[in-house]
Amino acid sequence: MSLDFLTTAPVADGAGPANQSDPVARSPMERCAQAVGARFEVRSGWNVAAGYTSREHEMDLSTTAVGWADVSHLGKLELQASPEAMRTIVADAAGGASPELGRATRAGYVWWLPLTPSRTLVVCEAADAPGLKRRLTEAASDSPGHASVADVTSVFAALTLVGPLAREVFARFCAIDLRPAVTPVGGLRPGSIARQPGLIVREEENRFLFLFGWAVGEYMWAVVADAARHLGGGPIGLDALSSHPQPSAEPSRA
Amino acid sequence: MSFLLTCPNCGVREVTDFGFGGEISARPAPHPSFRELNTYNYFRRNTAGVQREWWFHRSGCRAWFIAERNTSTHEVLFTALPGEAEGAGGPGAGPDAGPGAGSEPTGADPGAAI
Amino acid sequence: MSRLPEQPGERIHRHKLISFTFDGKKVEAYEGDTVGSALYAAGQRTFSRSFKYHRRRGLLCCAGQCPNCIVAVDGAPGARACVEPVREGMRVEHLNAKPSLEFDVMRATDLAGGPFTPPGFYYKTFIKPRRLWPLYENVLRNAAGLGKLRERQADREWRTEYRRRHADILVVGGGAAGLSAASAAAELGADVVLVDDGVEPGGRGLLDGAERTRLAGLTAEARAAGVEILSGASALGYFDGLVPVWQGDTLHQVRARRHVFATGTIEQPLVFAGNDLPGVMLAGGARRLASLYSVLPGHRAVLATTSDRGLRSAIALRELGVQIVAVADLRPNPGPVADTVRALGIEVLAGHTVIEASGRKQVAGAVLAPVGHRGNGQSGERAFGCDLVLVSGGAMPATSLLLQAGAQTRYDEAIGHFMIESVPDGIYAAGEVAGAESAEHIEHSGALAGLRAAHVLGLGDERSREREQQTEARIAEAAQRLPGVAVPEPVSGAGRGKCFACLCEDVTSKDVSLSIDEGYDSIELAKRYTTVTMGPCQGRMCQVPSVRLMAQETGQSLAAVGTTTARPPWVSVPMGVLGGRPYEPAKRSAIHGRHRELRANVKWAGDWRRAYDYGDPEGEALAVHQAAGLIDVSTLGKLLVRGPHAGEFLDRLYPNRFANLAPGRIRYGVISSDAGRIVDDGTICRVDEDTFYVTTTSSGAGAVEEWFSWWLADWGLDVHLTDVTQGLAAVNLAGPRAREILSRLTDLDCGGEGFKYLDAKQAAVAGVECLILRIGFVGELGYEIHFPSAHGEHVWDALIAAGEEFGIRPFGLEPQRILRLQKMHILIGQDTDSESTPFGAAMPWIVKLDKEEDFIGKWALEHYAKETPAVSLVGFTTANGHVPTEGAVVVDAGGAPAGLITSARRSPVLNQVIGLAWVPSQLAAEGTTITISDEGQTFSAQIQTRPFYDPDGEVLRS
Repeated sequence: MSLDFLTTAPVADGAGPANQSDPVARSPMERCAQAVGARFEVRSGWNVAAGYTSREHEMDLSTTAVGWADVSHLGKLELQASPEAMRTIVADAAGGASPELGRATRAGYVWWLPLTPSRTLVVCEAADAPGLKRRLTEAASDSPGHASVADVTSVFAALTLVGPLAREVFARFCAIDLRPAVTPVGGLRPGSIARQPGLIVREEENRFLFLFGWAVGEYMWAVVADAARHLGGGPIGLDALSSHPQPSAEPSRA
Repeated sequence: MSFLLTCPNCGVREVTDFGFGGEISARPAPHPSFRELNTYNYFRRNTAGVQREWWFHRSGCRAWFIAERNTSTHEVLFTALPGEAEGAGGPGAGPDAGPGAGSEPTGADPGAAI
Repeated sequence: MSRLPEQPGERIHRHKLISFTFDGKKVEAYEGDTVGSALYAAGQRTFSRSFKYHRRRGLLCCAGQCPNCIVAVDGAPGARACVEPVREGMRVEHLNAKPSLEFDVMRATDLAGGPFTPPGFYYKTFIKPRRLWPLYENVLRNAAGLGKLRERQADREWRTEYRRRHADILVVGGGAAGLSAASAAAELGADVVLVDDGVEPGGRGLLDGAERTRLAGLTAEARAAGVEILSGASALGYFDGLVPVWQGDTLHQVRARRHVFATGTIEQPLVFAGNDLPGVMLAGGARRLASLYSVLPGHRAVLATTSDRGLRSAIALRELGVQIVAVADLRPNPGPVADTVRALGIEVLAGHTVIEASGRKQVAGAVLAPVGHRGNGQSGERAFGCDLVLVSGGAMPATSLLLQAGAQTRYDEAIGHFMIESVPDGIYAAGEVAGAESAEHIEHSGALAGLRAAHVLGLGDERSREREQQTEARIAEAAQRLPGVAVPEPVSGAGRGKCFACLCEDVTSKDVSLSIDEGYDSIELAKRYTTVTMGPCQGRMCQVPSVRLMAQETGQSLAAVGTTTARPPWVSVPMGVLGGRPYEPAKRSAIHGRHRELRANVKWAGDWRRAYDYGDPEGEALAVHQAAGLIDVSTLGKLLVRGPHAGEFLDRLYPNRFANLAPGRIRYGVISSDAGRIVDDGTICRVDEDTFYVTTTSSGAGAVEEWFSWWLADWGLDVHLTDVTQGLAAVNLAGPRAREILSRLTDLDCGGEGFKYLDAKQAAVAGVECLILRIGFVGELGYEIHFPSAHGEHVWDALIAAGEEFGIRPFGLEPQRILRLQKMHILIGQDTDSESTPFGAAMPWIVKLDKEEDFIGKWALEHYAKETPAVSLVGFTTANGHVPTEGAVVVDAGGAPAGLITSARRSPVLNQVIGLAWVPSQLAAEGTTITISDEGQTFSAQIQTRPFYDPDGEVLRS
């Protein structure tokens, strides 16, 4: 036996709604998005909210106020190893990067998020997850001592908050200090968010990746939507999100 | 009670982020007498002052760490991962300073920071 | 609406009329008015009825400090009219008077009740007969209090924004000191938040024409330096560095690294007969009314003061048109300001104070007398006709927040107040609260606090440090205390009528004396007994008067009496503001949407929302026996335990063995604490040599992960834990047709030989890779299927569709409890408590004391193994069909409690009542008859020790 039961089934892409019999992967916030008019498409095996109103309107919303996008489909892998082995494995797989606690390292469109000296969360595009998992597993098997690679994609749901008021939205339900002087771009901040364990990555000045438990998806959507709407924000689809400046492949280190 | 605590992995957070594991006490030698065992399980020094204690970053990295804290003032003198705490002086959290101390899984709610 | 001529600095905008209603009557106001100023301008003098005696109360402080003008606004009680801004159409109503504010029947308590309503009278008077207390309570509750909440609230009345604000420095108080502190720090680059309760920053100085320009300049400087100024905002308390700041519909939770408190002083009332009559006003309050809102507080006024502060107010009021009839200055030699007053033709009685205010509905006259006057009108008493009595009893430093932050105060004999003596690191006191008096001193002390706080944070440079030193020197020059403050008598005019020490709770000077006579002779005890300082003013008006009374009565010094502990909230705040966001963190399984569509009865189960049943729990349970059922068990805790030491790790944590479990096999385990008590249970499956898949109870998931990682942190074994609870959905497919249904969706050999009881297999089900555990969860042939949450509904739907022709039904938590009870499976936390051991819980077989590894709980279990447990968990059936309440007691022959029912249900398949109970071990033998006492009913039950259903497990292994 293996741990393949942690990994979602592969399904071919399609522009239209998901085929009933295909095991398309779904976000825990899918119904929330549906209720506010999301348009769905199957991408990399996931039923994703591509848009809501129009790309222009969603862009406007998220450049003047704040937009939130469901990005639960992002691939998430958990790597555990002794601190020494961890450094070697990550350096191998992330092209020489050496992650440090409290900082997210971007390498090859992958976020390396060291949570403890012996535990790193890796977040990548859904399509890249199988390849990255393979690479990590190989690197882990070569390392001295035991190293564990586990697919935790559906352990964590995720939202991206983007816009000048994104930080204010977090201030409505989160005690973590996100002032730029304290949490600069690339800052990694695990902690209590809306009374649940979560973590925030400051991807850009006004762009935050927010990971939280899959089972609290509906709750977190309600909390974020309430706070963001009050500040003039709204949901945005992946199409509008991809029109925003993307976290670069290799952000400069602060 | 709303002091700050520094998680050795994640940094400064509200105390409501954390779970409290109680004062650190040494586990008795194997096969203790009933009295020794019950002392270990049920008796606490309950220091009014500085003590070493276990904390768990429940809402963050979910790692256990050790803090030295003044229970009267909530002043936290230091925090460290187990094994890194000895250098800070005082009773170490070495291999015989087991977490048990008669504690049981608490299952308490994550912090209520709004 | 009578107003003074337009004057500079007034807050009202005369071109903008606003109207609102007070008790249904229309009231005209200007924009910028407060409810209090508008009502006063309209001639209203009575604003409320007092808490206990229902006496008339009018404006006293005009600064939101006292309880006298508390009203309900748009149905919400607790607003202070004197600071509540007027809004078009707002509905203002009085509190605590029936039928009206003018005619209040409960006034009788004052006229007749004085001697009958001492402190604690409700305990003393209404104690017998006991059975009538509910009636008394109803009457008392209606008679007292500060308004009524509506009983049912369909929606929250308002939305509160909760906003976390991190800052380098928080400055509380926006007077000259606070503004200077904020600017000084912000100019050095500190991120500063300033909180001020005024409409605009400036503090008390705004009342003074000459000061206004300077304060406007300081405000502009602070803004230019980047200070975030929160106006109309109140700091509620200090909680280890966290300061909640209430600002209208927002609660800022400010977490700053350094705190500057520039909270100023509070003008004190005097205690004399009739000191609560409408028309008795703090001199500063009258001045606010006149200067800011251009409302004439009265025509003829008498002033009683202890310092220049009152004299200055009187001069200002005279300029605005109030005739000052006479001034009683407590000081024997009042000094130059008094000479100025005299020069205006006003009689100043040195060494005098006020001993009585008289009048029926409002002040009509006042009696002044020399200090220490105890007589009754013979020696030196002077009576004046007036409609206003101005009082100024000294300036009490507003130290509450500082005290909460750990500051210490000391009684200062010279000025009769408790002054700041020391502050802890990181806390700074500035301005009047720190004892500064002159304008120059106040400003410098603010700047110094700001500079020091910034420097401590590593900001600033040589020049700023030089400025810090210069400021210190200037303060030394400026710090000469201004002359002339007198300490008032605790009470003047005793014997002439009620002298109120505490207006909020209607506590008179007599009540305080009485409480001391009854033995409540420390200030903390007297506070609790008389409730003095416990009302909405939070001690602002009554702390010092009550301490003075206590000192006089007990013959102690004020320093010895001390003050009561300062506690939050410093400002009255609606509970709704503290209530938090109206969202409860709920966990939901990835299949939850389907349960809702099936109209499941959804309830809380720990922090999860779960389907208890789908409307027919017994039918659902029967379907599992007769065909098949499907239950969502995604809430189970799920942990990956990986590494070369994984088996050893589990052997140290569980009383039974896991290192010898073969890959692909499953074993049940119970976790015990170091005290040998049952903590959790679940199944453990060995995935491969190095990997175990551990399931826990739903409610124990988080705690077990913490427990495992705690011991791992200590033992340092080569093991890695991953909590995948939320990442995997899980369903249990159970029933005689389960095998056929599963076979339709997978290529796996599901036959009894190929897939045995307690085997684990990995296979694709409906196209999704799953871990399938064959376990006896509900007592029928069953498969527990675990798969990624992202496929939750897909796999559920596929199983329901495949099972349709076999009669599959979804079943919920309630039928699951029936089914599991039939098998005598214990439910941790329901059938066990913190005292339960595996021996008592009839699971001695799970404890392997001969294991090589020491396991957690072994030492305790070794002791328990030597003796028969006092109580044992056993099954029972009842003959009469009565289902006992969970929690009903098992009684012994004498009728005394001897045991406890923990679970009981009717089993539809057995057509019998079954249950689990803890009974004395001598009653635990098969067939013993026990007696159950349940809410007055007594009936018998028979002990059964083997599972009620399929006791030999034949069905299970089929």
